[in-house]
Amino acid sequence: MTTSISPPDTVPEEKAATHHMPFWVNQRLGLLALVIALSVLFGVLRPAFLDQQLVLFPLLRDIATLTVVALAQMVALSVGHMNLAVGRMAAFGAMFAGLGYDRLGVPMQVGLLMCLAAGAAIGAVTGWLIARTGVSSFVVTLAMDFALLGLVSLMYSSLTDDAAFTTHPAGIDALRSYSLADICAGPICGSPAVPQIAQFTVLAMLALGFLYGCTRIGRELLLTGANPAAAELSGIPTGRRVLLAHTLSGLLAALAGFMAAAGTGTFRASIGDDFMLPSFLGAVLGGTLLTGGVVSVLGTLLGTALVGVIRKGLDLLGVGLESLNIYLGCVLLLALSADRIRTVVSYRKVVRST
Amino acid sequence: MNRLNVTLSQGSWGGSALRRFSRSTAAMLLCVVVVGYVALGIASSGSFFEGPSVRVFLQYLATPILIGLAQMVALCVGQLNLAVGALGGFTACLMGVLMADHGVPAGVTVIVGLLTATAIGLATGVAIVGTQINGFIVTLATMTILLGAQYRLTGTRTVDGYSRTLRDFGTAAPLNIPLVFVTALVAAALLAAFMYRTVAGRRLLAAGGNPLAARLSGISTDRQIVAAHTLSGLLIGVAAVTATASLPGVNRSVGGDWLLPSFAAPIIGGVALTGGSIAVLGTVLAAFVTRLIDAARAQFSLDPSWVNLLIGLVVLGTVAGGRLHQTRLEKSATTDGAVLPQTGGAQ
Repeated sequence: MTTSISPPDTVPEEKAATHHMPFWVNQRLGLLALVIALSVLFGVLRPAFLDQQLVLFPLLRDIATLTVVALAQMVALSVGHMNLAVGRMAAFGAMFAGLGYDRLGVPMQVGLLMCLAAGAAIGAVTGWLIARTGVSSFVVTLAMDFALLGLVSLMYSSLTDDAAFTTHPAGIDALRSYSLADICAGPICGSPAVPQIAQFTVLAMLALGFLYGCTRIGRELLLTGANPAAAELSGIPTGRRVLLAHTLSGLLAALAGFMAAAGTGTFRASIGDDFMLPSFLGAVLGGTLLTGGVVSVLGTLLGTALVGVIRKGLDLLGVGLESLNIYLGCVLLLALSADRIRTVVSYRKVVRST
Repeated sequence: MNRLNVTLSQGSWGGSALRRFSRSTAAMLLCVVVVGYVALGIASSGSFFEGPSVRVFLQYLATPILIGLAQMVALCVGQLNLAVGALGGFTACLMGVLMADHGVPAGVTVIVGLLTATAIGLATGVAIVGTQINGFIVTLATMTILLGAQYRLTGTRTVDGYSRTLRDFGTAAPLNIPLVFVTALVAAALLAAFMYRTVAGRRLLAAGGNPLAARLSGISTDRQIVAAHTLSGLLIGVAAVTATASLPGVNRSVGGDWLLPSFAAPIIGGVALTGGSIAVLGTVLAAFVTRLIDAARAQFSLDPSWVNLLIGLVVLGTVAGGRLHQTRLEKSATTDGAVLPQTGGAQ
């Protein structure tokens, strides 16, 4: 599912080169092996880790939400930009959904649409500012983060008494607590570990995989990220692609905000407070380049899953909350250094063998 | 270029320097600061000009200035330092714990704090250069690690039983000008002298402005990146000292809200994110502006969220306005070739 701007089947030399690369260079395979190995390790050390309802279900629900957050970051990274306001865009979108449920009494689906529309709109404003002024996306999204942080808290405190919308529309509780075990085809039921809310994640991944893998616009987004000047010269409207990427990023962030709110049951301003670090972790561990031009949808899921498994496993092993961040930071540095070493070593091998 | 030649041929250096200053971001910010301060003074019917108000205003200005400068140093070589708040918070907690729990005298603690912050900055720089991983990710990782370390040091308690000496330093204010504020200004002056007058400072700027040209002229860009992160760490250490001295106590929330202001000050002050430029005066004045917004919020007893909203809008306005001004200049100048729009941005 990794998509780079030069498809191997059109460039014979590159295809030959990829054949020489040993299989263990494949980052996603390594990640998958690591996730499985760690899950087994934690399962052996603490059998409670494999408890489907109490551990795996919330773990997978968190992974599902954070994967969407990481995808939102990935889309911005694909054009070589960043979105530091993912968390706040999530809060902004979720606020509109909560407002719809609380004040207008809309059904769940309409609220979700309002949430997505608000996210896409704020993303479009951000993208327009970046494309129009040419200012670095870092600054614009950082300032947007500030502005939304203030705006969302102000709106919550002026619209509600206890700074949260608590009205539950029909169906949202089901979304929170139902798993595949609640869907039965005859006598066969799904696993109670897989939450139903993961349907949004699967949909988002399929849509993005199709966008980047099969469409012209997806290619143009990647080319814009890899080399903006070259993209502009080859007739790609880079300004519009930047706008599109940020709109999509805002939309996905809002979706994640809705999922987080549905998961906790209340719509409040603190949704998305802790989204920024996981968004970068998931995307970057999965093989998406910060410089743009390379994305990996599946890798983003695996990267997020790795972080989630480590966090949960360490938690069960009795590592206190205070030390968890230390380990996570070290894991991030080690994983990226290992990746770097692997690339360098395999590159040397390829060079020697040719 | 044309305009510069004209002003030069017109004569006196002082006049041209003054004219250039009048067009700069710093001059605009200076006007904003003066107007804002006077307006706030009038709105508070004069009480804002009195000694105690001035003292409190300046006392809590020291830390924003220092973290803005620390971020500016990282920006000048084209790097970002996301660990500003975490490193500052960690250092402050380390000093608090050393003094309160282990009875280390204040002088020794301050030196230990400064050295620790500098060493962590150095380690960050070495990690970036050694692994060739993007500085954004490395500082993101160090931020996570330091946040954990800070929580581990203090847990959920607030450390407040520390040395009188440091506290006196934090509250001492001869002529209503707090010593911590003087410390910040001295640090800014030293930094300006280092950046504008010494070879090492010029090297930092050269490496940030054009890494390839710098390397070709014999400047090790790797070494400059390490130097910038080390200097950034030292400034954060000073910020942590001022914060520990002026706050009533340190806990794990110290530094939590430093990251965004640390970027806001240099960006409003006119520092380019691409590296190669610094603006010490601009950064200091921008920190003044953000502090004014905060003071105004306190004056009219508004929701603290207004500060974030306003600072966000000010930064957005600054970057958009600056860019539009630049495009107008480009349009008015005669250009030979088509100018490609700048869309790549993460770096």
